[in-house]
Amino acid sequence: ISGLFRNVVGGKVLTEEDLEKAMKGMEEHLLNKNVAREAAVHLCDSVKLELVGVKTGSFESIDAAIRQAMTSALAKILTPTSTLDLLRSISAANEPSALSRSKSRPYVISIVGVNGVGKSTNLSKLAFFLLQNDLSILIAACDTFRSGAVEQLRVHARNLAELSSREGRGSVELFEKGYGKDAAHIARDAVAYAASKNINVVLIDTAGRRHNDTRLMSNLDNFAELAQPDKIFMVGEALVGSDSVAQARNFNAAFKGKRTLDGFIISKCDTVGDMVGSLVSMVYATRIPVVFLGVGQHYGDLRGLSVEHTVKLLMQ
Amino acid sequence: MVLQDLGRRINAAVSDLTRSANLDEKAFDDMIKEICSALLSADVNVKLVGQLRKSIRAQVSFKDLPTHTNKKRIIQKAVFDQLVALVDPHAEPFKPRKGKPNVIMFVGLQGAGKTTTCTKLARHYQTRGFKACLVCADTFRAGAFDQLKQNATRAKIPFYGNLTQTDPAVVALEGVTRFKKERFEIIIVDTSGRHRQEADLFNEMVQIQKAVQPDQTIMVLDATIGQQAEAQSKAFKETADFGSIIITKTDGSASGGGAISAVAATHTPIVFIGTGEHMLDLEKFQPRTFISRLLGMGDMAGLVEH
Ligand SMILES: Nc1nc2c(ncn2[C@@H]2O[C@H](COP(=O)(O)OP(=O)(O)OP(=O)(O)O)[C@@H](O)[C@H]2O)c(=O)[nH]1
Ligand SMILES: Nc1nc2c(ncn2[C@@H]2O[C@H](COP(=O)(O)OP(=O)(O)OP(=O)(O)O)[C@@H](O)[C@H]2O)c(=O)[nH]1
Ligand SMILES: [Mg+2]
Ligand SMILES: [Mg+2]
Repeated sequence: ISGLFRNVVGGKVLTEEDLEKAMKGMEEHLLNKNVAREAAVHLCDSVKLELVGVKTGSFESIDAAIRQAMTSALAKILTPTSTLDLLRSISAANEPSALSRSKSRPYVISIVGVNGVGKSTNLSKLAFFLLQNDLSILIAACDTFRSGAVEQLRVHARNLAELSSREGRGSVELFEKGYGKDAAHIARDAVAYAASKNINVVLIDTAGRRHNDTRLMSNLDNFAELAQPDKIFMVGEALVGSDSVAQARNFNAAFKGKRTLDGFIISKCDTVGDMVGSLVSMVYATRIPVVFLGVGQHYGDLRGLSVEHTVKLLMQ
Repeated sequence: MVLQDLGRRINAAVSDLTRSANLDEKAFDDMIKEICSALLSADVNVKLVGQLRKSIRAQVSFKDLPTHTNKKRIIQKAVFDQLVALVDPHAEPFKPRKGKPNVIMFVGLQGAGKTTTCTKLARHYQTRGFKACLVCADTFRAGAFDQLKQNATRAKIPFYGNLTQTDPAVVALEGVTRFKKERFEIIIVDTSGRHRQEADLFNEMVQIQKAVQPDQTIMVLDATIGQQAEAQSKAFKETADFGSIIITKTDGSASGGGAISAVAATHTPIVFIGTGEHMLDLEKFQPRTFISRLLGMGDMAGLVEH
């Protein structure tokens, strides 16, 4: 009997001491899932605070109580406070209600992030999703720095145009001015061009930038000023470790308080198995929600976030 | 910069201890604790941190230290040794030979920095008198051909690619064969990004390797990588048996502990680090000098050689 019930502390009032050791195990568990240490410590502290003085259920072990509390803490942090209905927002910009008295205009989304995380690829996936919804898209090639960045988008635009014409849904065009020019100005021109052609959505690609490069980061502010995007999504990588916290914070702060990021696209989720912790780290750092997950290298590999599934992966 | 913060924290922990009035076992334990949390914050693999903790304890064996010994020196050396062990696999990195073709194949996860680093490395050898060239065997990623071609053109390095051939092993072989015929000495083959979860992609890597028979396979790792580093690098090691590692994006703020864990997991040396997006942003890597510089322990390297 004692073996079977060793860990059972039915109806016990939990003290800080009881929790201390078990929480260490939980912290290590989260670190193993690639949650940044700062975020893991924060989550563990909040769970501990919540549990001290609580009476466990009659056959509930401390571990079970902690798991339960951590499961809800994770679900809580990952659940967005407001829902994003991208398609509805787009149609509101394209066809404003008479009451709002605003003019019809293209909806503008720009994609930012550090080098190589998957900005251009996930922008193309987003374009594919919008095309499936019968929208016309302009892809603006505003990475004027990295070799091949323009050709990369040209290939995507060509592939997507072929797909959409085959299915008779939506249309897509590339707006590019080659290399070396100022990205913010190209972005502004792309939006003006889209407006003149009644294009529904402008997707702006940007060059990868180090979040600790103050010069490149300060360009973002100017960029947002000129292009006036409706949404700025940051692509963050599932592979990245604790740098995720600083990446998210610095990009979120790049707009000098005038605005914030509007959401994260967490890419390369297919490369990490159940180690999906960077999702938690980025949301923890900014309270900005995750709007999409990248789960592969093909156009269809974009998903909405399932909080339940993500928490399950993190807790298993 | 990679490991700088980590170095600073470890350094502080060690000197706090060695400066404190009573250098007792509790203080020693606290130091180890602080070092371990620094390592964990830097993405060093969780298991690896556990091992390191044990190794430092065993090497110092605090209880058995005679009272007069220079505890400070012993502790410093133990920490230094364990950190060096982390990044120094004691394997000799590959050295290309002049006058013969050295085929070098790049592999790694998506977006790690392979294509960028290919040109940097070709240029590195070119300025050291090797006849270097580049082959694009990434037939998957949009714009991969143009990316490498534009970099190669800028660096004035001959380039081979084929926009109509979709089989990367075929393109790779075409390029390598041609450049061998033209007596190139460094032939660098760029491949697409891949990951262990997708068997087809790993299979493709094996096909390319079979086709070009590289003298050296290099794994490119992003300094920001977290806890997946171990599993991914092990899988690449088992499948492609790479002989060296290049860590990129060390100009970012990542601590690089994940990438370092890959070294420990695969017993493979880091040969270069990427320090920026430009062609010249490549540095040679020497583990000992690196760690001692990092810890501000100029004399430690000498101490350890004895
Ligand atoms: N496995 C996987 N690979 C992805 C995913 N998203 C992007 N990639 C790959 O990641 C690599 C880099 O993608 P890009 O879209 O070029 O990244 P980027 O952020 O635009 O890069 P820069 O513009 O150079 O900063 C490519 O090989 C993509 O195929 C994903 O969700 N899963
Ligand atoms: N800051 C910085 N950026 C780098 C470094 N090395 C590469 N990059 C950037 O990282 C991004 C991805 O580099 P690529 O060379 O395209 O990566 P890759 O591994 O070839 O990507 P795939 O072929 O898609 O798998 C680009 O934006 C590069 O400019 C580096 O050392 N520092
Ligand atoms: Mg890009
Ligand atoms: Mg590449």
